[in-house]
Amino acid sequence: MVSRQPMIEVRNLYKRFGNLEVLKGVSLSVGRGEVVVVIGPSGSGKSTLLRCLNYLETPDSGQIFLDGVEVDPKRNLRQVRQEMGMVFQSFNLFPHMKVLDNITLAPQKVRGTDKESAEKLALELLAKVGLADKAHSYPGELSGGQRQRVAIARALAMQPQVMLFDEPTSALDPEMIGEVLEVMKKLALEGSTMIVVTHEMGFAREVGDRVVFMDDGHIIEEGPPREVFSNPKQARTREFLSKIL
Amino acid sequence: MSFRWDLVWSSMPMLLQGARLTVQLTAIAVFFGVIIGTIAGIARLSKGPQKYIAAVYIDFIRGTPLLVQTFIVFYGLPGIIGQPIPAYTAAVLALSINSGAYVAEIVRAGIQAIDKGQTEAALSLGMTSAQTMRYIILPQAFRQILPPLGNEFIALLKDSSLVSVIALEELVRKGQIIIGRTFRPFEVWLAVALIYLVMTFSVSRIVDFLEKRVKNGV
Repeated sequence: MVSRQPMIEVRNLYKRFGNLEVLKGVSLSVGRGEVVVVIGPSGSGKSTLLRCLNYLETPDSGQIFLDGVEVDPKRNLRQVRQEMGMVFQSFNLFPHMKVLDNITLAPQKVRGTDKESAEKLALELLAKVGLADKAHSYPGELSGGQRQRVAIARALAMQPQVMLFDEPTSALDPEMIGEVLEVMKKLALEGSTMIVVTHEMGFAREVGDRVVFMDDGHIIEEGPPREVFSNPKQARTREFLSKIL
Repeated sequence: MSFRWDLVWSSMPMLLQGARLTVQLTAIAVFFGVIIGTIAGIARLSKGPQKYIAAVYIDFIRGTPLLVQTFIVFYGLPGIIGQPIPAYTAAVLALSINSGAYVAEIVRAGIQAIDKGQTEAALSLGMTSAQTMRYIILPQAFRQILPPLGNEFIALLKDSSLVSVIALEELVRKGQIIIGRTFRPFEVWLAVALIYLVMTFSVSRIVDFLEKRVKNGV
């Protein structure tokens, strides 16, 4: 499961928005094929941490390594982003394009894949997320759960080394959460490296290889889900878990 | 003296000739105005020196009368470049540059109205800023700004009457010529007004139609 070199390594990351310090020295290592679930209260910095990984937010200081190579916005940012697929809370599908075009655009324009191969892969991915029949629909014609599954397919189409999920089910109606988690579970079982920020504790417990609890810009505690959930060592973790479980 | 309908009708052929030029000038100015406006609108939102160049251009054009801008191009510019500018070229130039500034503000607002998540999604896929603008932001922005863009075209259609001052025989100028022969300003100006009304009404119908089609497409 975990190889010698971490897939992602974060060293001492700091980030502030104005006067608000959101990340206060976060270090994290994610192994190849590992599924790391980041939990914590709102405002704890977990989404910011994820968004710093592909520089949607620019960290103030600290280092990020992808497969041993340091992420440097001046040199390799676009290459790094291609290797980190991201799924957003609000889906962010391109509403003016059909589902198929949503998925094939980046492979064609960024990777230089020809149209035919891009579409073939897109249809395979749509089948994988259970939406083979929606290739020619517009995002506006889909339910929230379907949109998020398309968004996952779109990220996968770049064949990234890591998948980042930023609260992927938080904007969904309860009855649609399951279908999205199911797809994510499938990816995890296939051996994808995943970092998932979520409030879905059931998913964390069942699918996560490791749970990371963040609060107030720090990683407070991390470990196998079984341990963190049943036997949290830190008082703050206990307090958080007692509120939500 | 009574109202002479026959004069309204008899002046029509010549007025319509002028109207043709009005439509032609407006269409060309709209075309270049959209190109200039898109570039200036994007520049206005960028970081770097082009932002200030775009701001100065937009503020200058929007803060000065089109009539004065037309004079600057037609009477002023030849002195600088050392050769006369034909009235037609001057009119197209003045109208395009003028329209570009208004379109720039419309485009800027349209781009800003697009959710930030769209840019983030595109960038997270490894697309460049230019690709994001071209494939993701502008196509959505243009759908949204179709109504204000339509209004700008209608405004330009009417404002093009100002280039009659450089003796370009568009609709208003034709009206003046006919009045010079007939001494019947009321009938002729009414006829001119009617033609403008038909033109602006047609443009607004076309924009409505495009708007509906775009809405159904998404």
